[in-house]
Amino acid sequence: MASQSRRGGISLPERRGRGSSKQEPNILAKINNSQIVSKGKQAACDAVFVAKKLLKSTGKAAWIAGTSFLILAVPLIIEMDREQQLNELELQQQSLLGAPPVGPPPPK
Amino acid sequence: MAGFVPPGTTLLGNEATSEAAKKIDEVHKKADYLNLPCPIPYEELHREALMSLKPEYFEGMRFDFTKGLNQKFSLSHSVMMGPMEIPSQSSEAIKIPTAHYEFGANFIDHKTMLIGRVLTDGRVNARVKCDLTDDLALKANAQLTNEPHMSHVILNFDYKGKDYRSQLQLGNGALFGASYIQSVTPHMSLGAEVFWAGQHRKSGVGYAGRYETDKMVAAGQVASTGLMALSYVQKVSEKVSLATDFMYNYLSKDVTASVGYDYALRQARLRGKIDSNGCTSAFLEERLNMGLNFVLSAELDHKKKDYKFGFGLTVG
Repeated sequence: MASQSRRGGISLPERRGRGSSKQEPNILAKINNSQIVSKGKQAACDAVFVAKKLLKSTGKAAWIAGTSFLILAVPLIIEMDREQQLNELELQQQSLLGAPPVGPPPPK
Repeated sequence: MAGFVPPGTTLLGNEATSEAAKKIDEVHKKADYLNLPCPIPYEELHREALMSLKPEYFEGMRFDFTKGLNQKFSLSHSVMMGPMEIPSQSSEAIKIPTAHYEFGANFIDHKTMLIGRVLTDGRVNARVKCDLTDDLALKANAQLTNEPHMSHVILNFDYKGKDYRSQLQLGNGALFGASYIQSVTPHMSLGAEVFWAGQHRKSGVGYAGRYETDKMVAAGQVASTGLMALSYVQKVSEKVSLATDFMYNYLSKDVTASVGYDYALRQARLRGKIDSNGCTSAFLEERLNMGLNFVLSAELDHKKKDYKFGFGLTVG
């Protein structure tokens, strides 16, 4: 019996409710049931859902774009760079080799 | 292009292209309709686009070694290791690891070309190309496998006229085909083909057109099997060309389009493409040394979540 009364935690708010049942639940219920709040809640839920989905899809798109870029463009950039280096090297060598005949040979 | 050619496969094609290009240049100045250039063979209409967009992608490792015994005769050895895809109903690809060794012998003369390949799984492949006279050439292709109904033999007789080409094709399974292509203007050629496959009780007609200048090549093909193929290649510069193709099958309602680039640099050749199935691929051939090429192949299929990467070494 004693445990029952102690356990009756449920009855506590009831008792309190009984005391001020005329004002508090009314305000809460008013706020809770008002259209603005429910609509706001709905909107917030929707916004979170859309944002989540948007984030997910942009993430996926970024992943696809990134990996495609890695496959298509990175090797191209590296190869172009190598080609340019090779061209420069050749130009340098040409100028080194080509210089002596143009200028007078060093006197001995 | 001539600087970097994958071994064996496209050498003859390139010679033919440069020859044709030369002829076109000559005729271009006169625009003489009695002396039109010889068109390219009907089956090679999309050659440039195929070269840029469809290199031999592979998965795993491969090593190719070719040793020339003398000027005409050479032996080739190649080892391939890697997963092989098994066709299945589900969208996910099933792969099993495989390893192959391939032994080949080539005899290349200025009039005849004999190529033989033997694989360790029992496949034998033989190709013959032989110029019977200056204008008439015989091509044969035979494949023997231990799987039933997969072996085939195809014989082609090619006749090359002054401004046209015709081909007669005979194959096993009562396959008969004929094609004809004619130059109409210095840049334009039109062709048609008929075929009849007795074993599958199928026959068809196809038409094709090709327009080429020294800056671009456009080709289109329709066939009564429902296939429509269009391709376009733009040569941006000597080293760079951009290609696009479009395939449509109105019986199975399959549509694919792809866009790609082809960079032929001095030390490397790089080909990349992206297609409408969400598949991105790239193929890099890099010359490390004289007669030593390094090959990298990558293929990403985002839709199927199928990623294929391969590397290879080609010696000789």
